[in-house]
Order: sequence, then structure tokens, then C-alpha cells
Amino acid sequence: MATTTNTLLLESTDLFDDSLSISNTSTCYKAGTTTGLDQTTGLTRLYATSVTQFDPFPAVKDATNRVKNGKVYIANLSEDETEFITVSIGDAVIGKLYAGDFLWMPYSPKASLSSDIEITPSVATGMFIEFMAIHDFANIYPDSIDTRVYPDA
Amino acid sequence: MATINATININSTDLTSNPIALSKTMTMTKAGTRTGLEFTSGLVRRKLTSQTTIDLVTVGAQMYGTPTASKANKLYVKNTGSSTADYIEIAIGDSTGDPAPGEELLATAGASFITLGRLYGGEWMLIPFEGTTDNDIIVTPSTSEATTIEWMLFFE
Repeated sequence: MATTTNTLLLESTDLFDDSLSISNTSTCYKAGTTTGLDQTTGLTRLYATSVTQFDPFPAVKDATNRVKNGKVYIANLSEDETEFITVSIGDAVIGKLYAGDFLWMPYSPKASLSSDIEITPSVATGMFIEFMAIHDFANIYPDSIDTRVYPDA
Repeated sequence: MATINATININSTDLTSNPIALSKTMTMTKAGTRTGLEFTSGLVRRKLTSQTTIDLVTVGAQMYGTPTASKANKLYVKNTGSSTADYIEIAIGDSTGDPAPGEELLATAGASFITLGRLYGGEWMLIPFEGTTDNDIIVTPSTSEATTIEWMLFFE
């Protein structure tokens, strides 16, 4: 097993009359256990030059993954405040990450066709995006291209 | 305007053969600007004592204001428990409707939702909040034992 910790600091000195300071640390465990998540996609850094929607992680094919406790990190590394990425899951828009924004969320893919996380850049002029999943999913690798059947084969 | 900073640190010395030490700070700004978000729901604390699915954060007009949809809103949610067995399941969509919601099929407007994942005791999430129609944040506890959730919306 591995030990992966995640910490959040949420702070503001002027949102309220009093200061806001929230601090949380948790460990990434497999669902229902104290055993650490032991797989990761690694931190991917992508330069997106199209407004075409894409899936940052392969479609999750194994039905057992619906009860897992994966975690996902996505960040928009753009420095242009007008540029954003729209993050969705299936048909549901989670929201927009503007320049410098990140998200951290749980990920338990319940349906292989509608639980895919999607990213849509707002511009085609080039934008760096980072993403990583920490998980214990089964069979999330893409099919080998040799196993696919094409009409002209 | 206000300055609201969120910093995430992800660390592991043994998930991969080389250590992971990721740190990222964001300042929550209004969409397309460098002006800070200035409205919030405040830190809301709710205790749930059944496994009934609820709309935790609903879109539209609220007591704390009306978040503008499709902006740079951010949502923080934490399961304050300590159990590694009990969890809350987070989904996005609408938990109401007749017939009953069709889980994982959001295409049917107003009566369906898609699951994001689980928050076990002590776990948290920070996500953008779209806030459009039928895009509520839905929570289902795994237990009827008391489960306390804290959440906070930052919006424009």
C-alpha cells in the first residue's frame, strides 16, 4: 500500500469581518478501508490547442469501479484570466476552471459510458492543463489498437 | 472584492518510485477577471440521520443570495466524520422528479443525476460550481447513523 495525503488550506482575511481559515488533511484510502490507494495516472501536463472536448482519463470499463474511492486533481495552468476549461462528467457540467484554478474531487465511476470526466478548453490558442487520478480501479487501460476491428480490415 | 486563497498539497513518498509533492494555490476570482469573488453561503453544517438522498446545494435563489450560473463559483464540501467505512456519495443533477430519478443518465432533464464519488470520514472536495438548472449537488449518506457535512459556496 501507499500513503498519499492531501491537504487543503482555505484562507481569507477580508471575505468576512473576521478571518476565514479552514485546514483539512486526509489520506487517500481504498473504499471502506485504511489501505492506501496504490495506483495513479501520474501527473499529466497537456498543451491543448483545440476547443474540442476530451477525456483526460480512459473510459472506465470495469463495473467493480463503481464502488471505489478514487480521487481526481485537475488544474488550469493558463495565466490569461479570460481562459477557462469546462469540466464535465457525462452530460453534467461540474463547472469552469479559470486561469490558475484547480479542483480536487472524489471519483467513483458508476457507468462506463456516462461517468467519464471531460475537459473542454475555451480557446484553441494553446493552454496548459494538468490532471492526475489516484485510484485503485481495475482495467482502465485503453484497448490495444490491435484488438479493434475496423470496417476496412 | 475579497481575496480568497485555496492551497492544495498532495504528497506521497511511496505511491510511485519517486516522491510526489504537488502544491498549487489559487485565488478565487470572478469569471474572466482578476477581481476576487466576494459572496459566500458561509460555512454550512448539516447533520443527516437517514440514507435519504438530498439536494445539499441547490441552484437559483437562496437565503444567502443567488449564485450566477456558469461563472467561476467554487464549492467546498467535507464529511466531518472519522469513519473509514461510512461515506457520503456526491452526485450532480436533480434528486427530485416523477418518475424517480434515473441515476447516471442526466440527459433526461430534471429527474436524473450522475455520481461524482464518495467522501469518507475526514475527506473533502473543492470543485467549480456551474449552478445551472438541474445541476444541484446531491448527497446520499451510506448510513443512517448521524453524518455531519460541512459545505461552503463561494460565488459571484
